[in-house]
Amino acid sequence: MNGALFGTLLAGGLAALDATPVAQTLVSQPLVTATVLGLLWGDWPTALAVGIVLQILAASTLPIGARTPEDYSVGGVAGAGVALLLASVAPFEHVRQAASLIGVLVGMTAASLYVPVLRWQRRLNEGLARWCEASLRRGFERSLTQAQWAAVALAFALGVAVCGAWLALAQAAVPLVERESLRIAGVWNLLQPFWLGFGIAQLLNAFVQRRLERAGVFAATLVAAWLVLVAGTP
Amino acid sequence: MSEPLGPGTLFAIGLRANLLQATWNFERQQGLGWAFALAPALRELYPDHGERMRRLAEHTAFFNTQPTLASIALGAAARLEEQRATGGEGDEQGMARLKAVLGSTLAAVGDRLFWFTLRPFAAVAGVLLAMTWREPALGAAALWAIYAIPHLALRFSGVGWGYREGPGILSGRLRTRMERVMRALAAIGCALLGVTLAWALAPAGEPRPIAVQCSLAGGLGLGLLTAQRARPSPTRWALALGVLALGWVLLRRGS
Repeated sequence: MNGALFGTLLAGGLAALDATPVAQTLVSQPLVTATVLGLLWGDWPTALAVGIVLQILAASTLPIGARTPEDYSVGGVAGAGVALLLASVAPFEHVRQAASLIGVLVGMTAASLYVPVLRWQRRLNEGLARWCEASLRRGFERSLTQAQWAAVALAFALGVAVCGAWLALAQAAVPLVERESLRIAGVWNLLQPFWLGFGIAQLLNAFVQRRLERAGVFAATLVAAWLVLVAGTP
Repeated sequence: MSEPLGPGTLFAIGLRANLLQATWNFERQQGLGWAFALAPALRELYPDHGERMRRLAEHTAFFNTQPTLASIALGAAARLEEQRATGGEGDEQGMARLKAVLGSTLAAVGDRLFWFTLRPFAAVAGVLLAMTWREPALGAAALWAIYAIPHLALRFSGVGWGYREGPGILSGRLRTRMERVMRALAAIGCALLGVTLAWALAPAGEPRPIAVQCSLAGGLGLGLLTAQRARPSPTRWALALGVLALGWVLLRRGS
């Protein structure tokens, strides 16, 4: 388990880097990080259950205007990590489902609470930028590289620290999962489809953009896919 | 005119563009990352240390655009710096104008293409594959590949592209092509969402219990209603309802 915990912390740091400071390749998206964590913890079903819900919500969270959106990179790692930690308590399906519900809630909370952390980090970067410009004007060329790497190190450290804090807090939820896993699993069985539907609607709205033909494509595909799935033939 | 900036320098700019947002801040936004990415070109163009430092400091000023397409602006800026260095046209004001014009124009196109279309499209494709295929890593791999391949290809090739074409790169033809790509991705995205919803209702052809289907329909209905409002965010709605549902069930424990 120590290896998996260490891997989760590392994933938190790397996800915090990919989200904005380095490369932005979407390797930090919840589905990708949850898949990696599923491999680390040896529990794909829990990881994917959490990753899918968080991914559909992350995709419908758009950076509109000057708003700093919820950060699902660290949130995704924290959510999947907590779910995997709680699911390792007992090898039962209802424990896995209860852990998934708490993981998704932690993921969303962590994504929301990371916004002020990001704002603080960006305020620190302002000071770094001013220092760098002044150093360049004094002829100190390496200050540019030093400023970049300092910001990268800060982002990585924050990702690791926040994921570590959530994993530590998750220990407090272990008795709750042990005691109430059946009830919580019942809530998961209703909330999971609700969240999926909610996220699908948000994405549909983003794609359709009040164009009737796109809504038609969605409706036609839904009916056709339903017929293929249920009846077996179109 | 000779072209002192070789492919190696343009590649180095593309590579450094990966750190364009490392020091993102509210004051200069990508300004420092921009100067960092352009540094290899300035090193080649200005052998004089003092002159190079002045140019680098100048480039740390405000800049912001969509990070993938920023490579095009970097290429165009490298071209203008080359003209400045060889005594051709271009001055500090000209560079500031180029950054302002390209920054806002590329952001307008890039935000729609990458943030509002390709990213949700990759997510839907990834989620659908993760839900339907037995191979658990396929969804994540598809999500990553659908976004990262065009993103990284444009990040590296965009520098050379912007360098060759200059600010004229944003011609009507390119915009028309990008609009076509966005329309196609949006239509395919709608189709993928239809399949995802059908699978959520009846995975592998087995219809889920009516309570689950009602919950899915409820989420869909509330999602469509809340999507018409910019605030609060989808996350706040989803989180609030999740906490309420869990709290209600746990508090009913004794009853």
